[in-house]
Amino acid sequence: MTKPFQFSTVAHIEYPAGRVATGLATLREGIARVPPESLFFHITRVMVRYPRARDLPPNDFANWTAAALQNLEVAERLAFAGAQPLVELEDLRSSLIRILDEALSKKHAEDAMEAAAFHFISARSVKAPLGFTADSPEQVVQLWPLVDPSAAFYHLVEARVLGPAEDNIVDWLRVQGAPRFAESAEDLTRGGIPLFRLQREIGARWRRSEITKRLLRRTERSDATRRQEARAVVARFAGRLRKPPRENDE
Amino acid sequence: MSESTARFEPSVVPADGPEPRVKGGWLDRYAHLVGPGTLRALEALARRLRGHRLVMVNTTKTGGGVAEILHRLVLILNELGVPTSWEVMEGDERFFNVTKKIHNALHGRTEALTDEDREVYAERTRHEAQRLALDGDLILIHDPQPAGLISLRRAPGQRWVWRCHIDLSSRDPDHWEFLRPSVSQYDASIFSAVEFVPPLPIPTYLVPPSIDPFSEKNRAMEAEEVAAIVERLGLNRRGGPWVTQISRFDRIKDPIGVIEAFRMVRARRRARLLLAGGGASDDPEGAEVLAEVLERAKKVKDVTVLELPPGSDVEINALQRASTVVMQKSLREGFALTVSEALWKRRAVVASAVGGIPLQILHERTGLLARSIEGAAFQTVRLLDNPDLRHDLGAEGRAHVRDNFLHTREVRDYLAVFTSLL
Repeated sequence: MTKPFQFSTVAHIEYPAGRVATGLATLREGIARVPPESLFFHITRVMVRYPRARDLPPNDFANWTAAALQNLEVAERLAFAGAQPLVELEDLRSSLIRILDEALSKKHAEDAMEAAAFHFISARSVKAPLGFTADSPEQVVQLWPLVDPSAAFYHLVEARVLGPAEDNIVDWLRVQGAPRFAESAEDLTRGGIPLFRLQREIGARWRRSEITKRLLRRTERSDATRRQEARAVVARFAGRLRKPPRENDE
Repeated sequence: MSESTARFEPSVVPADGPEPRVKGGWLDRYAHLVGPGTLRALEALARRLRGHRLVMVNTTKTGGGVAEILHRLVLILNELGVPTSWEVMEGDERFFNVTKKIHNALHGRTEALTDEDREVYAERTRHEAQRLALDGDLILIHDPQPAGLISLRRAPGQRWVWRCHIDLSSRDPDHWEFLRPSVSQYDASIFSAVEFVPPLPIPTYLVPPSIDPFSEKNRAMEAEEVAAIVERLGLNRRGGPWVTQISRFDRIKDPIGVIEAFRMVRARRRARLLLAGGGASDDPEGAEVLAEVLERAKKVKDVTVLELPPGSDVEINALQRASTVVMQKSLREGFALTVSEALWKRRAVVASAVGGIPLQILHERTGLLARSIEGAAFQTVRLLDNPDLRHDLGAEGRAHVRDNFLHTREVRDYLAVFTSLL
């Protein structure tokens, strides 16, 4: 029997990585030399900064190349290279460097004004257990809506890319004999969709895949219990209909 | 499911946790804004600081952005079960004249620091070092005024952190040399943005500032209240949509550039410009800039200039909500939380890409960035013509502020930094 899965949240402590870029050449130099955590911050952690966006903005390198250097072609190539959150960071670094090397070999690139320089940032995580653990995949499904988006990001993306492996929820589900849960979470995460939607869609997919199991369990119960459960469902639904929609979330 | 996790209520606290978070407190008001999961995450981070006491130190209990933030942060940290006290370093007029001079010089407005100034600073620091209760495990010193306390009051085992709310990228080297020996003794420093950080021999962390969605400046307001305040200010809402910049009358806020951009807008569209702000009555340069602005405003149709007294938070709230487009066309900026304030009210914002603004405005997503007068005019016309674009940017802007620039995010960052130091 494997260890129960402990849900944790993380807060990210950001700090300067000590490098500044003013053009494509210095951006390339920075990308080549900063620690993996800095690449993770500028590319993958965009998900945490814009969790409710309708679609994810490009990563920081692409955004800066477009906004400060006005080099849209390179910007879109950098954006595409960074649009896959589960890729190995050293592979990602190589892809970014290749794009910048090609751009630098073609033409003289303009530098940005000093005021618009790109400052590399790095980050490290402070982990804090949320206080609930799951002994089975079914319990993961139950607990999933209760975790905050940073915790979801940590267990789906960060633990996989930066470790530790024990906090990788997809691996844990596989070991627990729930490969379908693991695959659906991994597929959706790979798509690079905004965090709120990602967490919600994973939860919905997990719940849907449990419908058959739940129905089977129900058939084993007595008629009286099933009637009682049905009444509770109807009451919940009626309650929802009675509650007026909130117009203003202020 | 394990024993300690059987209840899925936000109040779940493991057996080894601190006292549960205060219910019905200030933090609970955030639950419907940021979601119960975020509050649970704060509780989890706060549990890691169990048994530690924090002390915040600044130089004023009222007035100014730092005091405004501290009022809320101290309350929230205590509600989370992290005992936090707030000490205020006092000073006389001479001391505050010196610290004002240092503050200005760190922003780039140089005025030489005399030997007498240095002595005034040192003398007040010695006096306050004896008086203040600095008995926590972590002492968070805000800004340059109390920075010197560390050399006189640091006790063994304590961690001292310097929180700088100022943009030091244009700092005067002499003034910085005066402060740097003190700052270098800290265990860590915290700045609002990476661009503001000077070279330091201690670890530096980045914690952007945040706004309080329940303050007078940001709280929800019904349309009737907005209309009543606008009427009380003697402003006419007829005559076209409002384009507004609310900033003190200072050249770095480029009010003349705003009027020029509006002149271009007005040549193509029906609209009104409202330039509102304070800082003119107690600042000789502010009065000069206001006079220039008034002179220039006379030459352009539909421009209103409004001088707001200090403490006009409700009025600012109403004016932002009454505006169709909010501008922040600064030439230089600190963090410019006025942008987050406007985004929080779902306003469409046109702003310069300076200081902390690009962290708040992601071009074409949460607002529009401009780099010139023509650019500001172009983006303003786009917004005036396109209600759908205004709506979409406003919605994304509010969501962005909700996740990144409310006090809950700043508390989370602080908890992480403190945990890593204790």
